[in-house]
Amino acid sequence: MIKITGVTKIYPTGTPALRHLNLHINAGEFVSIVGQSGTGKTTLVKMLIAEERPNKGTIEIGGWDITRINSNDVPYLRRQIGVVFQDFKLLPKRTVYENIAFALEVAGEHRRRIHQVVPQVLEIVNLAHKADSYPSQLSGGEQQRTAIARSLVHRPKIIVADEPTGNLDSINAAEIVSILKKINEFGTTIILVTHNREIVNHLRRRVITLHGGEIINDENEGKYKL
Amino acid sequence: MQSFLRVMKFAFQDLGRNFSLSFMTVFILVLMLLSVNTLWSLDVLTTEAVSAVKKQIDISIYFVPSATDKNVNEIKSYVGMFPEVTEIKLQSKEEVLALFREQHKLQIEALDALAELGTNPFGPTMIIKTKEPKDYKGIINALNVPEYKNLIEAKSFDNHEDAIERLQNITNRIEKIGFGLTVLFALISFLIIFNTIRVAINTQRVEISIKRLVGASNWFIRGPYLVESLLFTILSVGLTGLVVFLALRWIDPYLAVVLPSGFSLTNYFESNMLMLFGAQTLAVLLLTVASSGLAMRKQLRA
Repeated sequence: MIKITGVTKIYPTGTPALRHLNLHINAGEFVSIVGQSGTGKTTLVKMLIAEERPNKGTIEIGGWDITRINSNDVPYLRRQIGVVFQDFKLLPKRTVYENIAFALEVAGEHRRRIHQVVPQVLEIVNLAHKADSYPSQLSGGEQQRTAIARSLVHRPKIIVADEPTGNLDSINAAEIVSILKKINEFGTTIILVTHNREIVNHLRRRVITLHGGEIINDENEGKYKL
Repeated sequence: MQSFLRVMKFAFQDLGRNFSLSFMTVFILVLMLLSVNTLWSLDVLTTEAVSAVKKQIDISIYFVPSATDKNVNEIKSYVGMFPEVTEIKLQSKEEVLALFREQHKLQIEALDALAELGTNPFGPTMIIKTKEPKDYKGIINALNVPEYKNLIEAKSFDNHEDAIERLQNITNRIEKIGFGLTVLFALISFLIIFNTIRVAINTQRVEISIKRLVGASNWFIRGPYLVESLLFTILSVGLTGLVVFLALRWIDPYLAVVLPSGFSLTNYFESNMLMLFGAQTLAVLLLTVASSGLAMRKQLRA
């Protein structure tokens, strides 16, 4: 599904973010990527959605080399990868329903399909009753669930969650992870970038540990080892 | 189609959210277009005025009473050979006399003097018009030849050249000032539009990043700003058209007094509306699209 080969990323300031990274993630896997701040986790996420390009190496997603991706094709790539961020990235002047519908609107989806898909994804994240609420009226957990629902509207094969529990308490964090597990059960590959030890240890799934831009540990049923 | 309608919806939302800035942009564009239209009107008016003055200039050649039709026709053929001559009118002795009587009908003494003479003291008159007032000198010189000396009694030439030159000097100055104002307004408009779009993009930075995140195409991100440029153009040209036509309806009666030829600026604008407002729409569209394009290039670089 995702094949990262010899990827090196050095920022123009000279800071190396990733060094000779080799990684293979199979379809349907739930992978946690852990590491301290500045170890290259977010750079890896940015490269997976073609927001950054590596200086060396290749990244293939479903056989598509996205390191050579044409800028016109980037939107199509992003419709295939759902992304969830720590700061939710919701539009404050739009309701939960509108925030989710927005992802379909920008992709040119027909209104009928939007009315069909949005309630479905709201059901998955248990937010159907909050459809008309604004982000400011939601708890952190509910906002993150809205962001997850939005990431699901294009039925992506991969969801990349970059510190999705970073701003949440343990109960809400557990709820978010539970939703991600549920989505994973439908066959979607989940890449969870986190430094939440409790979550990683509780998941008992594959754990990749980054340190200094390199993979120092990769275990199929791993634990947080830093 | 669906995407296009959404792009339109987002463009209208942006305009509403940045209402004061949008208003200022349209206002400055209207000022710029008004200065262009004023300049245009002045140009049309001065051309019309100069042409009216030129039309009134002619040379009158007064022949001696003994001049025969043959003499007069010979001189008419000679003058007609000059390419700069546009019109030659002949007045017979009788017509000149009738004209004199008409013009002096209230001056009894003049008519009595004429009656005392018992004969027609006037010779035929030839009235010549040329393309340009400067051509008259050449015609007069051409008639100053010995063979015509005994046939021509007098030549009159009301020299309006000074008046025309003064009029043209004033016109040139007005045009220069108008051109300067137009350039100034164009520059201000460019900066304001550039800033409007930049502010709009800045305030929507989050929205833009989310659009990118969820896979919006570049066209979908840029589209609303281009539509905004189009809306600025339509609004400013439309408002300018309205102001111009209202102003012309107010000015026209005054012009009718100054320009006796019955010239109407409203008629001129109406008959050239497509060309005038088409050119202005195109120019403003280029200006707005270029400025918003520059702002987008700067803000959406990623």
